Amino acid sequence: MLAAILAAGFAVGATYALIGVTYNIMFSASRVMSFTAGQLGMAGGVLGALFINRLGLPILPGFILALAGCALIGLVTEIVAVRPVLKALDQHLYVLSTLAFALMIQTFTAIEWSTEPQPFPRLLGIGEGGPLDEKFWLPVVACAATIIGLELLYRRTLVGRAFLAIAEDNFAARALGLPERNLRMASFALAGAVGGLAGFAGGELLLAFFANGATLNFFGFVPVALGGLGNNRGAVIGGLALGVFQQAANFLMGGVVAGVAVFVVFIIVLLVAPQGLFGAPAARRV
Amino acid sequence: MSLTRRALVRASAATLALPAIIRSARAAAEPIRVGWLATFTGPLSSPTIGFDRGVKWAVEQVNGSGGVNGRMIEVISRDTQGDPTKAVNATQDVISRQKVHAIFGPVNSGELLATTPIMARARMPSLVAGVVNSLIDPVKYPNAFRVTPSNAQWDDAVRNYCQNIMKVKKVAITADATGYGTSAHDDSVASFKKAGLEVVYDAVIDPAQPDVTPDMLRAKNAGAEVMVSWTVSAGMAARMMNARAALNWDVPIAGHPALGTGEIGKLVDKPEYWEKVYQVGYRSCSYGPDGKLPKPNQDFVDSVKGKFPLADTSLWWIASGVDAIRLISEAVAKTGSSDSDKIIGYWNTLQMWPGLYGHYSFTPQEHNGFLGSDVVMSKANTQRDGAFDLAPGYV
Amino acid sequence: MRALIPYALIAVAALALPLFANDYWAVIGARAAVYWVLVAGLNLVVGYGGQLAIGWVALLTLGSYTAAILVARLDLDPFLAYAAGGIVGALAGVVVGLPALRLRTFYFAMTTLGFATIVTQVALAWQSVTGGGIGLPGPAMSPPFDSAWGFYLLCLGFAAVVTWMTANVGSSRYGRSLVAIRDAEVAAEATGISKARLLTIVFLFSGFTAGVAGGLFATLQSYITPEAFSFDLSVTFFIAILVGGRGSILGPLIGTILLTLLPEVAAPLVAWSTFLYAALLLAIVLLMPGGIAALLDFRNRKPLESHRSILPQPDRVRALLDHGQVRENITLRNVVLAFGGVRAIDGLDITIRAGAVHGLIGPNGSGKTTTLNVISGYYAPQEGEAFLGTRVLPHGAPQTRSAMGIARTFQTPRVIGEASVLQNVMIGATIDGRASFVEAALTLPRHRSDEKRLTARAMDALSVVGLSSLAGVRADRLQHSELRFVEIARALVGRPAFLLLDEPAAGLSTDEIKRLGTLIKAVAEAGTGVLLVEHHADLIFDICDEVTVLNLGKELAAGTPAEIRAHKEVVSAYLGA
Repeated sequence: MLAAILAAGFAVGATYALIGVTYNIMFSASRVMSFTAGQLGMAGGVLGALFINRLGLPILPGFILALAGCALIGLVTEIVAVRPVLKALDQHLYVLSTLAFALMIQTFTAIEWSTEPQPFPRLLGIGEGGPLDEKFWLPVVACAATIIGLELLYRRTLVGRAFLAIAEDNFAARALGLPERNLRMASFALAGAVGGLAGFAGGELLLAFFANGATLNFFGFVPVALGGLGNNRGAVIGGLALGVFQQAANFLMGGVVAGVAVFVVFIIVLLVAPQGLFGAPAARRV
Repeated sequence: MSLTRRALVRASAATLALPAIIRSARAAAEPIRVGWLATFTGPLSSPTIGFDRGVKWAVEQVNGSGGVNGRMIEVISRDTQGDPTKAVNATQDVISRQKVHAIFGPVNSGELLATTPIMARARMPSLVAGVVNSLIDPVKYPNAFRVTPSNAQWDDAVRNYCQNIMKVKKVAITADATGYGTSAHDDSVASFKKAGLEVVYDAVIDPAQPDVTPDMLRAKNAGAEVMVSWTVSAGMAARMMNARAALNWDVPIAGHPALGTGEIGKLVDKPEYWEKVYQVGYRSCSYGPDGKLPKPNQDFVDSVKGKFPLADTSLWWIASGVDAIRLISEAVAKTGSSDSDKIIGYWNTLQMWPGLYGHYSFTPQEHNGFLGSDVVMSKANTQRDGAFDLAPGYV
Repeated sequence: MRALIPYALIAVAALALPLFANDYWAVIGARAAVYWVLVAGLNLVVGYGGQLAIGWVALLTLGSYTAAILVARLDLDPFLAYAAGGIVGALAGVVVGLPALRLRTFYFAMTTLGFATIVTQVALAWQSVTGGGIGLPGPAMSPPFDSAWGFYLLCLGFAAVVTWMTANVGSSRYGRSLVAIRDAEVAAEATGISKARLLTIVFLFSGFTAGVAGGLFATLQSYITPEAFSFDLSVTFFIAILVGGRGSILGPLIGTILLTLLPEVAAPLVAWSTFLYAALLLAIVLLMPGGIAALLDFRNRKPLESHRSILPQPDRVRALLDHGQVRENITLRNVVLAFGGVRAIDGLDITIRAGAVHGLIGPNGSGKTTTLNVISGYYAPQEGEAFLGTRVLPHGAPQTRSAMGIARTFQTPRVIGEASVLQNVMIGATIDGRASFVEAALTLPRHRSDEKRLTARAMDALSVVGLSSLAGVRADRLQHSELRFVEIARALVGRPAFLLLDEPAAGLSTDEIKRLGTLIKAVAEAGTGVLLVEHHADLIFDICDEVTVLNLGKELAAGTPAEIRAHKEVVSAYLGA
């Protein structure tokens, strides 16, 4: 019993964490929180099922194409919904533009793909549905790989350092001659790929379902809020904790009550610690 | 001739009746307008696909053979997307603006609960394709006739199968956390207990929950001999079957007709995980030992084969759509009028009316017309042309 | 008066509808009216206050269920039930809304979304009361409101009252303050607007209208189940406001009517309706942020005179500032404030005398603006205190300064671009208004006299700074130099005892700087102490009575302009030869 809860909890938690990382990557590059983060996860699952199940591609090319597709969505998000409103960041128009774009992605998928959950391909064929089945540990592996990959990117490569510089101080970075716009586009593509990976790795668990976008958007945001904006380690801890809490609540209290409990805990924690549990205080305003 | 008072009354009555005569003369050529409100798009749209094929086919049949007393049937369809607010608008639209003579739909309980009082206010003859028990009330809604089983009848079918054919005592009851699921869960738990069965586990499960192993495990530990499932979510049903297999548990699953939807076949990890699943079905849409449907339905299937697909939906939805149009056209044909009172009055006289879907009987006091014994259990993974094999144990 | 024409047209059309349309249009019309009752209240939150509450359907749900439960289970009169729904909505509005005070925009949007989910889930689970998935009937009306048109006219009545009330609020100091916290939050605090108080009132009001709308919605639907309260509905409300235009009543009203009608006329597109709404929202945000209201704003399309000059009238300052306040000094004693390792102010003592001009100069990063921010309450000193007379100035509470007679301007002018110049200036006198929110909503006499007084005083302030000809112009059409003077007018309209100016001459022409100097001197002569942070040495030496020179957060020199001019270190370091 405990094994089943932990397996499912870590699996969905890792998916949430990856969506949290998606939020963070976009935020670092642009100071924008985007409603499309969850939709990228949904798209990862749907594109995976589309390329592998419907179009019959082998797993690896299907995987690469799904991630590329999500990266493209990330890129389009930057061009359509983020760049035009960056000038008026303090008016928070990005909340509206990304919400609109996210709704467009979601309804488009509902109409053109399906409103019913569709099967997601079995990737490796390891495990027989028990707690050690691949569908439970694939998201965890994907999450770990992403965190390590991002660390290597940020610490070891020039591009990664440029990302960090932008995240630290946008104006200064531009003054140093960094190609801020290109880096931002690259960040959004990267965020798209990470979000897509979340949906792809969690696909066997969550299926290829249009409504996953809204769910992942909310539950992927919770670890960001808890872990502090821009803090990937916080997002991973927050995501895993949320996943396990949610599954335990489902088990102990049942569907409806559990859903309410998660929201209530989230709002209370947020009000008590608006910067998140590992976050830094807000910047100067005057 | 002296002008008596009686003659005066008679004369004025005739004058008053004149417009009515003109109206009915005009009505003879006027089409019979049927409001068809359904969920053509959106997450709850799969039944409508079936219903709509039946409606269209039946209308073609009637109109192709010259209509009803020379009057064509005109279907005015509105997509409500399963949204009660759109359903209310659409209902008022077909009643007040399109001036329909009868309404079929909407097809989701949340919408029906809202539109039923509105149709009653307009005394609009309406055929209800929804299972919620409270939708039918001949006193409050004398215009509404149920042409599907009620929830209680579904429940009866499942419970009878558990109790009398599978002969089990301990059941687990699950439902999804939607409007339909929560109410079905409560009704079902109550009726199983009342019948003397032991409900060892019951749960309302979020249909988006990615893993239902804990629920299945608890049901197993509680000693359940059958899992009763009330969910329309193919995802949740398939997850239950996958979890059952992962637990090496060979408990039968019985419940909602959606357990047999083709989506589940795609979502179970292995085809055999769909074995030992029994869903609510109908005699009219079940294959007998000879592999044939009952005669009228076999004839219907043979005649429409190739004209529209049957395999991607359930035959009973198509059959229900056909029956709805036939019930309306027959009422107009038999009474010679499309007035509300005439149609309602005619439906109230039906006794064991043989539809493609089932037998309907209505009286002014009883509008739950579907014959209970037409509801049976089917083997969920045996769908061919939208119909199913009977579950084991039926004669 | 001309502004009323569109409302009159809508009212005439709405009243004429029953004369020629069938019951279907009664339902659609009632729906538009009910939605507007909610949207009108939400408009104050979203359109005026800029709080992105995307899950407001939660309050509609609560109001609906409250009214329906009271009628179905306790047999209450429907109108009382509507009122009860409104009260529950108002309380819930505060609960849903107040996280806005602590959370950033996106976070707040997410929590409202969370609330919307919770409310539906509870309605589903709390079967014994709400009927769960089966729901319960909405309140049934008795004659004359039980017919389709009777109910339509009732909803229309509610809509008309709400329109009137929100229009009153919108044009009152409450409406101006809301727009101020939306577009210039920092400046709003400096003028004494308490965001917490203001938003609490507005969330109460908005929750109330949403709750009442919920009751009407339940009657309109005749039966409610959790499915009726979809997120799509919430998005529709939200989009109606943004399509209509922020800070307008008429725009969102038209937006609501359009969005209610659109799916009915475009029935074949129903599957794509959410997609189209979203696309519409995106297009509005990117291409036409002002929405319908901006399209209808003909007045601000007339070109402005291109060669304008700002001609302040210093002789009228005394009449404007006639405050007769007790003359006290602002004193800083040993103030220390460090950001991380950097000591921005490092043990500063300074006294700003009433009725004098005190200059504060020094190189970039010497702590000038930081000093100003400590006085105006944005920063809390880590050591030492700032005093007004003998009172300690409360830390980190900028909204208290205005009531203490301390006003300020900002390095980059913080004005509300979408509001008129006059409205911007009136913001400065917000705390002088006496009418309560309810009085404003109902235009009771105290509110009307407030408006008259504040408008007159704001016009005076504008003529003092020389901008009265631009009073009705939208502020974002002004030149940079004009905005500086608008800020000064906004600061003066509250009759401050102290005026803190943060580089007011930056970006001004030589002539304008000269006029600014005369104006500042007149302000000081009228009894208001001025703290002038400035780089223009000429201006400082021309008009200051005292000058303090800062370096690395410490006082380098202090004295009269003549003394500073002679100070060797200052001369060699900053003033050049």
